[in-house]
Amino acid sequence: MIETAIRPTRDRSRALRARPWLGAASLAASAVALGMALVWAPPDAVQGDVQRVMYVHVPSAWLAYLAFVVVFLASAAWLWTKAPWTDALAVASAEIGVLFTGLALVLGSIWAKPTWGVWWTWEPRLITTAAMFVMYVGYLLTRGLSTDFERRATRAAVLGIVFVVDVPIVHLSVLWMNSLHQLPTVLRAGGGPAMDDRMLLTLVVSVVAGTLVYAWLLLERTALELARQARILEARR
Amino acid sequence: MSALRRALLVARRDLAAERRQPDGLVAALTFTVTLIFVESLAVGPGEARRPAIAAALFWIALLFAAILGATRSFERELEDDAIDAIVALEGGRDALFAGKALALAASLAVVALVGGLLSLVLLDLDVALPLHLALALALGVVALPPVVVLDTLLALRLRARALLVPILALPVLVPQLIAATQGTAAALAGDAGASLGWSGLLVAFALVYGVLGLTIVPAAIE
Repeated sequence: MIETAIRPTRDRSRALRARPWLGAASLAASAVALGMALVWAPPDAVQGDVQRVMYVHVPSAWLAYLAFVVVFLASAAWLWTKAPWTDALAVASAEIGVLFTGLALVLGSIWAKPTWGVWWTWEPRLITTAAMFVMYVGYLLTRGLSTDFERRATRAAVLGIVFVVDVPIVHLSVLWMNSLHQLPTVLRAGGGPAMDDRMLLTLVVSVVAGTLVYAWLLLERTALELARQARILEARR
Repeated sequence: MSALRRALLVARRDLAAERRQPDGLVAALTFTVTLIFVESLAVGPGEARRPAIAAALFWIALLFAAILGATRSFERELEDDAIDAIVALEGGRDALFAGKALALAASLAVVALVGGLLSLVLLDLDVALPLHLALALALGVVALPPVVVLDTLLALRLRARALLVPILALPVLVPQLIAATQGTAAALAGDAGASLGWSGLLVAFALVYGVLGLTIVPAAIE
């Protein structure tokens, strides 16, 4: 079964062949987003230029959520089908998710120093995000400590399902508890986006560019993992 | 045999083994008492008497005691390969998770009782709302085992399990730790509404991870 699942199907090969195009598109979109964020978008009336960190911070946080939801879906698919490509997808997305969560934390910290006066403060969004970061570092650590392929994939899949509970907790923590962190500005329950049109468009372009970068990295890392799985298969023969 | 009876059988067997050779319970108790003592000394007895600090010291100690107790309980199963026999039985995987969680909750209740009384005496704490305090303690204890047992099961066959279980469990237990600490502190300080609110969060936490554990645990046990 493993042999059949690892061997690339035509659809998977087609998806993996799209990598150079996706790479080019994500780099182009990132350049446009960067130009808009640094030049076109106006500075914030209160915070000034430091607010421009938002154009990377918000996409990083969104991509962290997306990455860990993909880990959850791929983990459930592994437990259901035992197809090795689902495990490759899960580890790829987890690594990228950890990268973007770390980026969101660091950029948030850089923004917080001039705005709040501190690099770090003990408020719900920051605590739950840091906990999510440590959880997925633990996920990767568990994978690294497991030697047998199928047991490692199963262990990781269970963690991928258990840990996703933290994603809505992180997102809704600012609504559930008294929080210093900014409340939702774009997807607000009580009306439309509460920001300047040029800022909103720049943010949307940044999120789209970030999502393309995520998709590109995901395909690249999944391809690497599939190649690694194929080597394991060769060694078994 | 129903699933509940199987789980109770595993829990009774675990508690019987603990009665015969109570090394896990004694270790968890000693650890909790020592940690409460040392933590109180480190922050200073005057500071440790504040409800929020006293509650935090107590729950941090209990959290580590839970990890210690679960690890010892599963090590006992590995020593005589009993875990393989349970897993081989029909419904054995679910019973193993639920039974271990129930047994751990019972052991932790004893540890919480002793540790709690010790905190009250050593720190000379005033309890404004005893019933709310009992509720927060009971729900805090019930909310711990599903996550700790699940993570111990996942790390069971790994050499680095002593390192891995706290790394995997502690971030997931952050909401439990905050809710239990705040609920306990509110009960000590006399804020009934806050204590009940945090207790509600503990119920939700226990339900989410209990159901999640029962749903995916057959896949997690090797």
